[in-house]
Amino acid sequence: MEAVINDYISRELVQDASLLPLENTTQLLETGILDSLSLLRLVIFVQEQFGIVVDDLDLVPEHFASVDDICSYLRSVSGGKAGQASARG
Amino acid sequence: MAYLLQQLLTDSAARAPERPAVAVGERSLSYHELDRLSNQVARALVAQGVAPGDRVGILAPKSAAAVVAVYGALKAGACYVPLDPKSPAPRLTAIMADSGIAVVLADQATAGQAVGLADSVPQLRAVVVTGPHWGRAAAAGPESEPGPRDPVVVPWDAVLAEPDEAVADGQAIDADLAYILYTSGSTGTPKGVMISHRASLTFVEWAASCTGLTEQDRVCSPAPLHFDLSVFDVFASCQATACMAVVPEMTAMFPARLAQWIERDRISVWYSVPSVLTMLVTYGNLRGFDLSGLRTIIFAGEVFPAKHLNGLMAELPHARFLNWYGPTETNVCTWYEVPAGTTGLTAPVPIGRACANTDAFAVTDAGGRVSKPGDEGELYVRGSGLMRGYWGDPAKTGRMLVGNPFQSAHDELAYRTGDLVTLDDEGNFVFLGRRDGMVKTRGYRVELGEVETALYGHPAVREAVVLPVPDELLGSRLRAFISAEGELTREEVLDHCRRRLPAYMVPDVVEFCAALPRTSTGKIDRALLAGT
Repeated sequence: MEAVINDYISRELVQDASLLPLENTTQLLETGILDSLSLLRLVIFVQEQFGIVVDDLDLVPEHFASVDDICSYLRSVSGGKAGQASARG
Repeated sequence: MAYLLQQLLTDSAARAPERPAVAVGERSLSYHELDRLSNQVARALVAQGVAPGDRVGILAPKSAAAVVAVYGALKAGACYVPLDPKSPAPRLTAIMADSGIAVVLADQATAGQAVGLADSVPQLRAVVVTGPHWGRAAAAGPESEPGPRDPVVVPWDAVLAEPDEAVADGQAIDADLAYILYTSGSTGTPKGVMISHRASLTFVEWAASCTGLTEQDRVCSPAPLHFDLSVFDVFASCQATACMAVVPEMTAMFPARLAQWIERDRISVWYSVPSVLTMLVTYGNLRGFDLSGLRTIIFAGEVFPAKHLNGLMAELPHARFLNWYGPTETNVCTWYEVPAGTTGLTAPVPIGRACANTDAFAVTDAGGRVSKPGDEGELYVRGSGLMRGYWGDPAKTGRMLVGNPFQSAHDELAYRTGDLVTLDDEGNFVFLGRRDGMVKTRGYRVELGEVETALYGHPAVREAVVLPVPDELLGSRLRAFISAEGELTREEVLDHCRRRLPAYMVPDVVEFCAALPRTSTGKIDRALLAGT
């Protein structure tokens, strides 16, 4: 799952090439990789890729601070399902 | 009576020195403090040789420090030029070179970035750090010792050592330039829209009156300084001695956090592009918060999809909803108030009627006046809210500021908006579309030609066309069609664009074709590509 999300963010959302390659611990908010627009694209990607719905109240900085944080959040809402999807994709 | 923007501040500081002028979370600057700090910034600028009429760059996100910088620059008699810290360096240096910026105001975190720009902007001689910092830590600067050609850096401590008495206004008049806002240019370079004190005050005075701003109001717009929506919260709040509240960037990104912040910070007047409001109504869990204090919501910059406006009005039935319209060149020139209790809108709301002291009229292709529903024509605007022209480009200015076709008795200029409109049954203007290759994405203007020029800058691009794809949330997404020589990947194209263009101008979709289709006259067939 980390690889799928890291790959998506690296390909689609990183504006500043000096931030690549992206670590799973890289701070996505402090570095400005995620802004209001790219965050929304990421949420839509994650929902489609892993077949889950990100609840309004889960859309908070703690869950999107890094690739690792995104994955722990996703596992907490739908571990088994997300794991399968990532194995496929 | 204020005829210069900075006089709004000195008047408010004299009237209500202890009222909060700018609030960032728990902290705030009073009108007295803002007045004094901006006097010190003005003196620091003058000490660096800034003279009336000079352009001073402001490289900072919206913050208390940025507001101090704005008023400091104006009090020094300068015209400020907002520089987006998130823009790629080549775009920033192009703007600085075009407008002849020799002194930049930066905050703690952007000072290093400003110094770094000196390599490509030889005339940059000083970077003055503005404050207060309020938790914005200094970014790691370059390790090397400053070179002989590096600009002087004036730290905030040195600014605070300046006397805090006002600098004399000198011979400034209301026709002098207050700021230059750079927008996308169709020929590949951004163009600078020159706004005078008079033009800005025409908007500010109307806006404060239209919204009924008072000392009790807390006003917020998330728009950055380089976007003309920021003129409202930075200056209209000051005109009314209201408080301008700055939303933390991290909060603005997360809709439910933003709704919570609006509740806790007791925001009473909100001004943004529709896409921010769409996110708020879609993901903001608005029912979970008490937003009864939010009395007025203003949106501008692009069309608000009816579905989401319906949703927002249902969630906030007590609020006034205002649609403000106007290109940067005219400030806001028309407005429409959505009638209270409106439900079930099926089409975007009108752009309405002209603001006070502004006239808007539409001219048909045959040269007549649009006077009834069904007529279509291009919207023209006349009045003291118009720009002075494009910086350093009299030819472009002459094409856009033209003689009023309905005034034969004497010379008078009107601005051609390039927007096609019609009238509804109530006499409101209704926006139909654009005449040219300009699209809106998240309220930002994007000239497709500027994106195409950037693409052509890649050595492997033989032909390139950029087309808009309508998108409910963003306004438009950008789709690039490229025919390449040799190997070229989508990633290479995007990387190339990201180094040259702001994020909102980077294509969302890149498609490769062996050759771009042609019309019978040999032009690239945009209509055919748009249908694919």
